[in-house]
Order: sequence, then C-alpha cells, then structure tokens
Amino acid sequence: MTDPEARKVIEIGYGGSERLTMNMGPQHPSAHGVFRAILTLEGETVAAVDAVIGYLHRCHEKLSETLTYTQYPSIASKTDYVAAMTSELAYVRAAEIIGKFEVPKRAQYLRVLVAELQRVASHCLWLGTWCLDMGGALGGGATVFLYCIREREAVLDLFESLVGARLLYGFHQVGGTRYDLPPGWTQKCRETVAHIEKRVDEYEDMLEGNPFFLARTQGVGVISRTLAQEVGISGPLIRGSGVNYDIRRMEPYSSYEDFDFKVPVETAGDCYARYRVRMQEFRESLKIARQVLDGLPEGPISSRPGVKSVGQVRVPKGEGYARVEGARGEVGCYLVTDGSAKPYRMKWRGASFSNLSVLPHIIPGHKVADVVAIMGSVDPVFGEVDR
Amino acid sequence: MPELPAPVYYFIVAFTVLNAVIGMVTYVTLLERKFAARMQSRIGPYRVGPHGLLQPIADALKLMMKEDVVPTLADRGVYNLAPIVFLIPCMLIFATIPFAPGLGVADLNIGILFFLAVSAMEIVGLFMAGWGSNNKYALLSAMRAVNQIISYDLPFIFVALIPVLLTGSLRLGDIAAAQSGLLGAFIFYPIIGQLAFIAYIVTTLAAENRVPFDILEAESELVAGFRVEYSGMKFALIQLGEYAHMIATSFLGALLFLGAWSGPGPAWLGPFWFLLKAMAIFLLVTWVRWSFVRIRVDQILQISWKIMMPATLLLLMATALWVAWRSGGGA
Amino acid sequence: MAPDAAPRGFLGEVGNLCRAVFLAMRSTFINFFRKPVTVHYPTVTRDYPDRFRGVLALTYDPQTGEENCIGCRLCEYICPPQVIKVEMLKAEKRNFAKTFTLELYACEFCELCVQVCPTDAIIMMKSFDVATADRRELLFDKDRLHAVGQQFDPSWATGNLLRDMQSPPKPAKTAEPAPGKAAGTAE
Repeated sequence: MTDPEARKVIEIGYGGSERLTMNMGPQHPSAHGVFRAILTLEGETVAAVDAVIGYLHRCHEKLSETLTYTQYPSIASKTDYVAAMTSELAYVRAAEIIGKFEVPKRAQYLRVLVAELQRVASHCLWLGTWCLDMGGALGGGATVFLYCIREREAVLDLFESLVGARLLYGFHQVGGTRYDLPPGWTQKCRETVAHIEKRVDEYEDMLEGNPFFLARTQGVGVISRTLAQEVGISGPLIRGSGVNYDIRRMEPYSSYEDFDFKVPVETAGDCYARYRVRMQEFRESLKIARQVLDGLPEGPISSRPGVKSVGQVRVPKGEGYARVEGARGEVGCYLVTDGSAKPYRMKWRGASFSNLSVLPHIIPGHKVADVVAIMGSVDPVFGEVDR
Repeated sequence: MPELPAPVYYFIVAFTVLNAVIGMVTYVTLLERKFAARMQSRIGPYRVGPHGLLQPIADALKLMMKEDVVPTLADRGVYNLAPIVFLIPCMLIFATIPFAPGLGVADLNIGILFFLAVSAMEIVGLFMAGWGSNNKYALLSAMRAVNQIISYDLPFIFVALIPVLLTGSLRLGDIAAAQSGLLGAFIFYPIIGQLAFIAYIVTTLAAENRVPFDILEAESELVAGFRVEYSGMKFALIQLGEYAHMIATSFLGALLFLGAWSGPGPAWLGPFWFLLKAMAIFLLVTWVRWSFVRIRVDQILQISWKIMMPATLLLLMATALWVAWRSGGGA
Repeated sequence: MAPDAAPRGFLGEVGNLCRAVFLAMRSTFINFFRKPVTVHYPTVTRDYPDRFRGVLALTYDPQTGEENCIGCRLCEYICPPQVIKVEMLKAEKRNFAKTFTLELYACEFCELCVQVCPTDAIIMMKSFDVATADRRELLFDKDRLHAVGQQFDPSWATGNLLRDMQSPPKPAKTAEPAPGKAAGTAE
C-alpha cells in the first residue's frame, strides 16, 4: 500500500567528477518567486535537486496571534497573493466553524462567485507564466503570457469595481462578506465571463495540438498515482494523476453543493495532464460563475453587524480546521481560539508548500529544460510556501 | 559608373554597404518590436521620438555609455575577441549579395559558397564567448549552440543548393537573373519550390537561434546564454552580429526564392523590391518566433538529423533528377 | 514528389504539425489586428470605479464646514499595520483630533479604518497619484490629509455606507426597504 518510492530517503550526492552543481534561483527569471533549487547535473540531466525555501517568510502565523479576527482577513490574502480570495476564505471559515456563526445564503453565493472568478484569474496567470518559462521572454511564450494577462486584467477590473482593490482584497469577514454587488456589476460579470470563455478557446488553439508544446510537456514530470497519494499534494496536481479529490465535492462548503460542475481528472500524471486539468477548470469555473449569477438570492451579506470596533468578533474557546479548494490545492487554516478577540494559535496549510514536496521525486532524470516546465506545472506561489 | 581606381571604388562601395547594413540592423530591431507588440495587443516603443522612431538610437547611446565589465576570472583575450570574431563573418556575407544587377560589393563566381562558408564561422565567435566568460550558464549555452548550428548548417546548405541546381550557377547574380518575370520566382516552382522555401525558413530559424529553436538563449533557464557576461558595447556588437546575420539570410532567401529585384515598375525600383521581399521573409520569421514555445535541445537535434537532413537531401536529389530530365539528360 | 519512403504515420505527423503551426500563427495573426489594450498613462488615465481604494483623506462636514473627525481613535486601533496615530483634543460640544498622522508608505489600503469611522471622517480617494521620491513626504499629518481630501475625488465607500451594507436588516417597523437593500445593491 505504501509506495516505496515515496518513503525512500533521498541522498543528495554533490560531489563526483562528472557532476556539476548549479544553482537555480533565488533570483532567476523562471523561479516562481524566491526559490532556490540546487541542481546536481550530469551533463544535461539532473541527478538530484535540493530545494531551499524560506526566502519569503513573513511570520504570518505569529502575526495572526497579534491581530484580531476583524483585522486578519485582509492580511490572509497575502499568503497566496495570486488567488487572494480563497486564502481569506480559509481563515474566515475556520473562525466561523469554531464559533458556529451562520453565513447568509447570499454571502455564500458571493463567496463562491469570487472564488471561482479568482480561480480563473489565477489559472490565467499560471498559463501565462508557464508558457513564458517554456517559450522564452522573447518568443511565443511572451505572446501567450500577454494574452493571459490581458484576460486576467478583465477579471481584476471586475474585482476592482466590486471591492476597490485589484490584488489583495479584504473581501471576506467573519460571518459573511464585506461588500455587496454594485449596480450594473452582474451585467459586466456576464460579459466578462463570455469574453474569457472565447479567449480560452484561442489559447487552446495555440497550444493544444502543437507538437512543440506536446514535446515539452508530455511524459515530463510524471507523478504516479501512488506517489501522489503518499506525498500530500493536492489540487490540479493530484487530479492530473488520476485521483478524484476536490474539496468542493468531498466536503462542500459555502453552498457548493447547489452548483452543477464537473471535476476534471486526468490519469497520465505528466505536465500535459495537469495542463488539461487546469484548462478544463477554467471552463468549469466560468460555468459555476454563471450559475451563481443566475441563482443569486436576495438577503444580507453578513450575519454579524458591520465591523465597528476592533474587538467586535469574539470566537468562543475551541479549535477547528477549515479547508478550501484554492487554485493550487487544499488551502487550510487550523485555528485554536481562547474566547478572546485574537486567536491563540493559527496554523496555515499552504497548498504550494505541500505541493513542492513532490519535486525531489519527479525532477531527477529529466533535463534542465524540463525543470522549468515541471516547476511551472506545479505552480507554486511562495507566499503560501513560506508564509 | 565614374572611372575610379579599383581599390577606391571597392572601398566606397563596401563602406556604403556596411553603413547601410548597420543602419538597417538598428531599425530592424524597432520593426521587430513594434510588429511583435501588435501581435500581443500592445504598442511597442512609443514615447522616444514620434511613435518610437528614435528608440534604436536611444538604445545604442545607452549601450555605448555602459561600463565595460569583465569578469575577474574570465579569459581576457578570448573574452574580448569573441564579439569581434562573431561580428566579422556576419558583416562579410553582405559582400556577396547583389542589390541590383551589377550593384553589389563583389558578385563572386562562387557567391553562395562563400556566403554559406563564411556565415558558419560565427560559431567560433560564439564558442569563444561562452568559454571566455567563465560562467557555467554561458558554457552550457555555447555547447548547445555549437551542436545546434552545426547540425542545421547541413540542411541549410542543401536547401540553398536547390536554386543553384535550378539555375546552374553558384553566382548570386545569375540566380537572381534566372527568376525574371512575375511567376518566375523559384518559390513558384511546382512542389520543389514551396517545399524548399519551407525548409529554408525552418533551417534559418535554427541557424539564427530563433524560437522555437532558441534553447541556447532560453531566458528563463540560461538567462541570455552565451551573452550573459557581456554588457555595453560588446553586447551591442553581439546583437549587431545576430541581427545582421538574420537580415543577411533574409536577403539570401529573397534572392534564392523570391526573385530578388524583379517586380513591376521601372528597373531602378529593383533594390526596393528586394528590400521589401527581404523584410517580408524577416517578418515571417518574426511571426513564427512570437507564436511558438521552444523545444528542448535533444528534440531540436532529433528534428535536424532525423527529419531535416533526409528531407532536404531527398529534395535535392529530386531537383537534380528533375533538372537532368528537363534538359534531356544533357549537361 | 515528397519523400514518401516512410509509412503513413509520417505523413499523418506532418499533417498534424502543419495544422498546429497554422492554428498558432492564425491566432497571433488575428491578434495583430485587434486594438491594443495599452492605456497611455499618464497622458491618458482610465476610469477608476466608484469603490476604488486610493489615497486616504480626512473630510469636513459639508453643512457646517467643521472637521468630521472626533478623535475617537477607532481607526488607530483597527489598523492592522498600525500606521495611524491620533491624539484627542477634548472640547465642549464635541471632541477633535489634536494630531492625526498616517504613514501612507506602510498603509495596506485595506479600508478597515474607513469602515469603523463613526462620523465618516476618514475616507479613500479615487486616485493614487501621490508618488514621490522621498518617503518622508508620505508621512501624512492632519493638514495634508485634509488637503488630499480637497484635491481628489472621493470614492464611494464611507464608514456608514459600508456598515449599512454589511449589517443584517433591522426588523421592519414601518415601510422599511427590503432586506439587504442598502446603498449600492440593485440586483
């Protein structure tokens, strides 16, 4: 049952006459943030990889002990800053679970809507930077990057008219959301959703049957099904390896059970399979967004009064864990409360942190050029890794 | 032509051509940037001069003003000579291209042979740059480059020989003259012409280290490859050499396949048609460059040895058989 | 004429390659003719939405012309990076703020201070155009905050509007508006 490959202790051999130790990062055009990978190369093939993280550590967990439940959600966006809405959601849900706070239906639907739009925006960024890494800053990669950023800007414009900010929102609060939809927003949202759907077709055209792209991604970075289950990855990584695990289906939160959507699963486990999973997630997210807009109920957006003072929200003593399906995987927040306005302890499960643990298993044996493709398909965001 | 002693005449012509080439190279960078920008839903350089027309001048001035940094442990002689050894062959090949009937620096009898041989010498400069930099990334990239350029020079030569076969002469002026008339260009030759043109574009991309074959300068992995330790004027020289080679192969392609200076209008419009056709090939290569992701070095080499070599060789043999059959088995 | 010595698979692959190349290049070609999305900032600015979170400012009461700020320090307590420092000045009818400093270089623009303000004194503007080369100029004192308030357009959000939007509806006494309908909702 246990995969011997996953349990094996990996020994890094730095020495040897034909081996070359090369550093990739922390400042590197294709490290997705500050990440240092010490590659041991034999010729062009990677023999071992040693990952060094921690360059972006900002003490989120300690910081949350000094900030109250009203203050921290806008800081929580800064962990996974590319998909900020889902990051905040984890913290806020943890507090709501422990305190047994009700979240009104409209707020739940709004949360689903922004989470799915955020997933679209995050996948746009993923696709753009991945192709940029593979195709070069002066080449086809840059073209796909700019197209994806153009579409991401459309979603960010939607968020800007909803919340006022483009990247780090502070949209959620304990008990519901902070902002309601302004007039004319649903119309704009529908137009944007339709527009992005058409553009996703264009990206698939550019990449799908392209033998260059397939040659770079098929068979590269294969995560076997047993390895995937042993090593603790989640999100598109595990769904690309054949495991049908999506938190939105397994433990539906925030009214996800009301919506009809498919969870894309591919069995090949290579970079191409993860690419297919994310491209299908684009479409499914847009489908969910449309369903939310069609079925949005009237009602309050928060079950608690609007924040008037800093210590307003007190969560009774207890502990709990809330998980959400972020764009990169399972984002979780484990909260230990003591009845006051500040948590006693918060532990953040970053999706990318656990996803990175798969790298020493899949990179050795590939060429240097493949390291970049694999890193891109794992899609780490170092705010989540280092917190 | 006024009566001048031969050395003075050749000096003037060579001087003019070199300056024209350098001017064209700087502005071709702007053309590429604006063209690529439009394909990416943005505007290229816009603010420096009207619509960015002074941008290349600004870039050149900036590069001239930069500090000349030489790494401490670099092999100084090799490091400093490399840009020059890289640049000279790229400039030299312009000598053989005739811009109009009789208007060229030196329309050699073995024009195309000279072109192909000299343009392959840039590999030496490239490897010198990679070695002299004392940098693992540069060395990796230089090794990949040598591999790639040598592998693609062979199909390049075979493809370039097809118009030679169809004309019966190695001289570039003759090849251009043999393509007179509207549909006389070799690209319109049934099947052979089109396939040869496509093969020419592919081998040009590879010989130029353009995407999808630009693994040696993969910015996301090797950060400018063999050029990584160069800055300032030496970097400008390397850029100059690369773009000059690019334009030279565009001109060669226009001459071999698109009929050089033939086009409607009076004869003095010939050079403009030539320029237009060369720019069309350049833009085609640019268009391909900005549309594709790159492929790995072992895949590039596979394409070269397993696909391009046999394909171009077979095409060459087919052309030879066709020419022999057309001329009735005679000479 | 094409080298047909290889089996059918080769031709199929070549056809595939041609189709892929055609699709990719067609995509770039189509985009060549689309209007660029570039906005020529700073000569041209785009329309900022109503709720844009820009620079912070203090306001005056439009009727009486007095400062709105009563120096209650609620914004100081709620600010996560603690950039606001207020000193209260007691007076007969109402209190004022004696000093009010806001360190804009550390501000997160989270809008929590706007949310808690009971008198709508601190608001955000629809502009971010206070770029400077010296960080000390971004340490706003009370005069600068009032000046900023006069200089730019205010954004929609004020404390009372935000709290009304978030609070659950009060039980209907007389003809109250429908639950959840507050300023800004129209679905």
